[in-house]
Amino acid sequence: MGPYLVGVDIGGTFTDCVVLDKRGNITATKAQSTPGNFAEGMLNAMRVAAERLSMPFEQFCEHISVLTHGTTVGTNALIQRKGAKVGLITTKGHEDAIHIMRGSRGVNSRDISKVVHFPESQKPDPIVPKRYIRGVSERIDCFGDVIVPLNEVEAEVAIKELIALGCEAIAICFLWSFRHAAHERRVAEMVKRIAPGVFVSCSIDIAPKWGEYERTTATVLNAYIGPVMSRYLANLDEQLKKHNYRQPLQITQCGGGSVSIDKAMESPLLTLDSGPVSGVTGSAYFSNLVGTPNVITTDMGGTSFDVGIVANGQPEYSFKSDVIQYEYFLPKVDIEAIGAGGGSLAVVDEFAKTLRVGPQSAGADPGPACYGKGNMTPTVTDADIVLGYIDPDNFLGGRIKLDKSKSIAAVKSVADKLGLTINEAAAGIAKIVEFKMADIIRKMTVEKGYDPRDFVLYAFGGAGPVHASVFGSELGVQKVVVPLREIASTWCAFGAASADILHVYEQVDIQGSPFMPSRVNSVLEELQARAEAQMEKDGIPKNRRKFSFSLDIRHRGQINEVEIMMPEGRLAGSKDQAVLTPGAWEKLRQRFYTRYEQLYGKGASFKGARLEIVTMRVRATSPTQRPKLSKARAMSGVIPKQAKLTTRDIYWADLKKTQKTPIFDGAKLVAGNKIKGPCVIETTQTNVVVHPGCTLKVDAYGNFEMTFK
Amino acid sequence: MPKVSEMKDVKFDGKLHGYVPPKKLNISSKLKLHTKFDKDIDPITYEVIRHSLWHVNEEHGATIQRISGSPVAMYALDLNPSILTADGEFVYFGPYMQYMSGVTDTQVKWILEYRSDNPGIRDGDMFLANDPWVGAAHQQDVMLICPVFWKGELFCWVTNCLHQYDIGGITPSSFCGSAENAFEEGICMPPVKIIENNEIRRDIEEVYLRSSRKPDAVALDFRAQLAGNMTARDRVLALIKRYGPTVVKGVMQKILTNSEKAFLDKLKRLPDGVWRDRTYVECCRPGDRRTHQVMLTLRKKGNRLIFENEGTADQDGAMNATYSGWRGAIMVALNQLLCWDQYFAIGGALRHVEFDPTPGTFTCATFPASVSTAPVQAMEISLYPAYNVLSKMLFIDERMRGDIMCIGGTSQWPATIFRGIDQWGERYGYLLVDPIGGAIGAFSTGDGISNGGQSRTPICRLPNVEHNEQSFPLLILYRKEVIDSGGAGRWRGGLSAETCFIPHRTTSITHDTLSSGNAIPTSTGMMGGYPATVNVYKFKRDTDIKKRIADRDMISDISEVKGTSVELQLRQENFLQHPTDVYAVIWTAAGGFGDPIEREAERVAKDVIENCAVSREAARSIYGVVISENEVFDAEATKALRAERRNARKRKDGPVKILSGKLVAQITDNLAVRKENGSIHTCCAKCSADLGPVRENYKDFAVRADNEITESNPHVGDWKRFIDDRPVFRQFYCPGCGSLLENEIARADSEVLRDIEITSL
Repeated sequence: MGPYLVGVDIGGTFTDCVVLDKRGNITATKAQSTPGNFAEGMLNAMRVAAERLSMPFEQFCEHISVLTHGTTVGTNALIQRKGAKVGLITTKGHEDAIHIMRGSRGVNSRDISKVVHFPESQKPDPIVPKRYIRGVSERIDCFGDVIVPLNEVEAEVAIKELIALGCEAIAICFLWSFRHAAHERRVAEMVKRIAPGVFVSCSIDIAPKWGEYERTTATVLNAYIGPVMSRYLANLDEQLKKHNYRQPLQITQCGGGSVSIDKAMESPLLTLDSGPVSGVTGSAYFSNLVGTPNVITTDMGGTSFDVGIVANGQPEYSFKSDVIQYEYFLPKVDIEAIGAGGGSLAVVDEFAKTLRVGPQSAGADPGPACYGKGNMTPTVTDADIVLGYIDPDNFLGGRIKLDKSKSIAAVKSVADKLGLTINEAAAGIAKIVEFKMADIIRKMTVEKGYDPRDFVLYAFGGAGPVHASVFGSELGVQKVVVPLREIASTWCAFGAASADILHVYEQVDIQGSPFMPSRVNSVLEELQARAEAQMEKDGIPKNRRKFSFSLDIRHRGQINEVEIMMPEGRLAGSKDQAVLTPGAWEKLRQRFYTRYEQLYGKGASFKGARLEIVTMRVRATSPTQRPKLSKARAMSGVIPKQAKLTTRDIYWADLKKTQKTPIFDGAKLVAGNKIKGPCVIETTQTNVVVHPGCTLKVDAYGNFEMTFK
Repeated sequence: MPKVSEMKDVKFDGKLHGYVPPKKLNISSKLKLHTKFDKDIDPITYEVIRHSLWHVNEEHGATIQRISGSPVAMYALDLNPSILTADGEFVYFGPYMQYMSGVTDTQVKWILEYRSDNPGIRDGDMFLANDPWVGAAHQQDVMLICPVFWKGELFCWVTNCLHQYDIGGITPSSFCGSAENAFEEGICMPPVKIIENNEIRRDIEEVYLRSSRKPDAVALDFRAQLAGNMTARDRVLALIKRYGPTVVKGVMQKILTNSEKAFLDKLKRLPDGVWRDRTYVECCRPGDRRTHQVMLTLRKKGNRLIFENEGTADQDGAMNATYSGWRGAIMVALNQLLCWDQYFAIGGALRHVEFDPTPGTFTCATFPASVSTAPVQAMEISLYPAYNVLSKMLFIDERMRGDIMCIGGTSQWPATIFRGIDQWGERYGYLLVDPIGGAIGAFSTGDGISNGGQSRTPICRLPNVEHNEQSFPLLILYRKEVIDSGGAGRWRGGLSAETCFIPHRTTSITHDTLSSGNAIPTSTGMMGGYPATVNVYKFKRDTDIKKRIADRDMISDISEVKGTSVELQLRQENFLQHPTDVYAVIWTAAGGFGDPIEREAERVAKDVIENCAVSREAARSIYGVVISENEVFDAEATKALRAERRNARKRKDGPVKILSGKLVAQITDNLAVRKENGSIHTCCAKCSADLGPVRENYKDFAVRADNEITESNPHVGDWKRFIDDRPVFRQFYCPGCGSLLENEIARADSEVLRDIEITSL
């Protein structure tokens, strides 16, 4: 019985719901997503959970202590270009920054190997056309001094013109505003006075960072999805209340953790990408619980493969992201995505007789050839079926029937062109995608200064466990873990359910060493005060508030910044707070060099150079009620009879032959079971493919662990 | 003057003349090359290793950026990593600074020829090199070249190149705009063994750093380059251990042969012919008022492409490039237009490309010419015309037509080189990086990309205004896209931008200019497309900007401030800018494609009313589109105006023959070739008006107008400010229907250029 912790994650195809009770029992359910009105799918998934728990829906809602929700409404509005009509007010003379895009074409999210084919490299359709941008006379300089006070007459004209053009949201971003916020604040007040119903987004609230292009895009993107998001959340909140949910609704955010519904309405940009991020934060929580502090997280779905890193129990962060080719500032749990999933298409270059897999994808519609919706090009899923990894009659617990003959025909078309057998071609498709994944994971870990061999790899998402043992062993990770068996396929919802409340506040104040503690500490003081005020609003009692402090530091004259944690919270200074104490300076320096060299290699730091603080940051967290997970009391080496399902012909590329392979029911295996590959473990949500030479174990939490020879 | 191919007795060994690798390299027998490879590699293994090799190069580039951390590496991405075979053919080069591609293989081949005997090439060695006659774009581009050995045999090479802040010479930043020769420029080192047995040779490193004004930064960059090579070398070795040397080598060979096959297949679809382009560089040294002609000829003969520069002006002043610089520039366009689908594996194509320049010209200068400014002048002007000649060749094949691209910006770079004491009280000296925002040329299928970056650095970024203002004592009054800067055309060239600033928190800034393409447009259009804006420096002294600031009335254009306009020359040195002096610079944008009066009128109207890309005046004068003062598009008036224009262009002084023979090919947007009574004629692609036999220049049969150069783009001003030779904007119209066939920028005394000569159809 309750109180329950509930996490709901809305994806393109399915809406997942995970319920944790106080004894640590987990209920995971899925319902079809409802793109017209996502709230419907969400309530459906929750209804299924209530049924599973054998109680009326209203009663279930009443017993939820925290409902944390991950939504893609913002992302969808962006991708489908269905956001608000946004007007932008900025410093006069700099109206074009968002169009110039720093001279880049937003190539980050594109196939880099095609970057020189310019006809395919257009900039995005502008999210704010030039006629919705107004410049206003005002100017702040790099010291934060006002050089030109705000011209309010111009500002008023600008606001009125934009409203007259029908703008539903107004974004405000002035140069250097993060050093002096008054001009943006004043214009925001003016908008509220002139057009009270209009959504307002100020750069200092959403992204007070150095660099006007990425700050402007963050502000504009926030405004663009603001009205849509507010409508969605308000509607959802109302419906939940109607069904007796009485607690404040929490929304997952891309920084890892969750924010209140009010904060999400104010800063909807925080919700972008928060779904996959929950997968990483869930992994961080879980890895601390099971005692594996270093984790590479991999989430393989239909169209994309998302990788995250948890090091020493903490997710790795990035501070710049991109969406629809626009780069923007936001502290975010770092996720690298490549276009490789079950739906990735395998295409033969007939001229060179080579085979490529992805990044083009068949998506959910038409989907793989076996869906029978008209796609004839083989996908990774088709290869999995041909090989025997997936039983077409029992895909996702039999919910979707797949047509094996279509998979065979599709793979055959590729095999014929390459002069391979059908099995060889299918194994080739799987191998190419698996090795691509190994390449990207290696790149990401190495770039962050880590060695994959010091990590365990979590495989979740529908398609992940099918392929993870190959890329895991190729990377040389310690083991591959499919966390909590079938829960792995609803892992992001699990992550949402286990999310802490989190607020991140940042301030840029670039200063060279020797540092003045008073200058740094006063900023940290102020950031903490803002965080306290927000938590007060959230109704979080003082004793449940936790703060952590960090500084982004670099070598003066260079670009790379590294985040240095400050467990002390403040810099220790001399009596007058004008200089650091020698001890504090030494500690800071050492932390910087250690982290820098970890990231960039031994000898990369430049000991003679002055240091420079760029950004100061406070992370305020409040742990939600923690799910306690139950652990098996006894371990057993005996595989229960009912777990042995059948055998199936599976082609194993390493053995170069098809072999009758045992199939197990994942739900029936018990803690302590140990099975040698080759075999396949089926759950209702995914299949775990255990290759020859690989051993699978069920641990006390029910995780599937794979190790290699 | 003779071409390289005609100078049989001259040594092209990288001393007096730039190094030209011979067909067969002369390698010491002391060095054992690993040559065995598997021919029969299954497509799966191929794809897995191919992807890994690509990633080796990506990791290599990322490592350099991370460790260097310099703005050069991080924003301008003025670096590039490569993997080459044991004998110096490209397997992959990176997506960063494309100029560096063409100078990499020559460096490696030179090392094989001249270092394999003494001091020898061994496992654990690396060579440092920046000699432009061996192969570097200019001295600032320093390469670190690493042989990868497997069991005592040279398996392959991994290399990288990274632009350095300062490696000496008479000007801080080592762009020496007034140098008379290479002795006044930065240190110049033929490949030297700086890493021996996996250790840095301190003596060599100290020699290298000694000339620099910023030795610490150069030393750190050197470590970044070192780490990059080590990362790449380790990864290649890991692949060899995993799959075996003959398999990895087999994949490398297959990457090359696949790219070669694809290249040959494309050439097979094209007729033989000759394509030419002509441009001009202005001002090779302070005080110079001449124009220096640049010629580029592309010959296609069967499965070979030959590039020549015959007709280019002599080397002079400080504007030159060496053989490898010229070659590297052309390879950028070659890779982007013809090999883009081979993902930076250009080695196979190069087996069929010859570079045959004329030594002593300024795009193929002999030692000791000044070459430190090569990438912003001689190489830009070697690269951009290459887009034109290649595009015209490719246009003939319908499938490749979608790949072509007009000249982009900056086809000449207007440098703002400044120095002084910054707002933090420290000495600084560098250049404004903003022109890296560039512009991408129009395509045959769509408009170019405004501020889409420089095509030669396809993933670069320009600094934010806030980055510039933090680093330098500037208050940037505006940075904006410039209306009408993109060349007009059926498809419009991308716009460029303008940056305007005053000194801030400093008493003054000391400036040098260094530019060309300010009088004569260098981003010419194609097939009737118009040129983009020229480079423009604007400078006003003793303005009322302080009053504007006090009145809270900021400007959007320098024309709004009152002050004394000063005409800056193109290599003006040591002039001061005080806080009341306003400085602005516009950089060249991108050329247009096709006749502007064939652009859909609604698109022009949208460019005026919504995109702020075209002015009302230009819409009328160039596009023939009428938009009223209150910004309403007038379709009727437009139709009438366009008809009138077309009519005026037609031949009035004689009959026009219309051909009806079999269409053989369409060779440009406006020209076709037809078989007429047994002979082959060029004709208008739209009305089939006869333009003479193909063996003659179609332009001689067209209606010709020699217009003032100012008519080519609204931003082109009075040429007399900078040069003595009068330039003209020539237009060639179809005598039958009045279509604009082609434009030509030329010195008034130059003969008409024969841009297309089809020799087999």
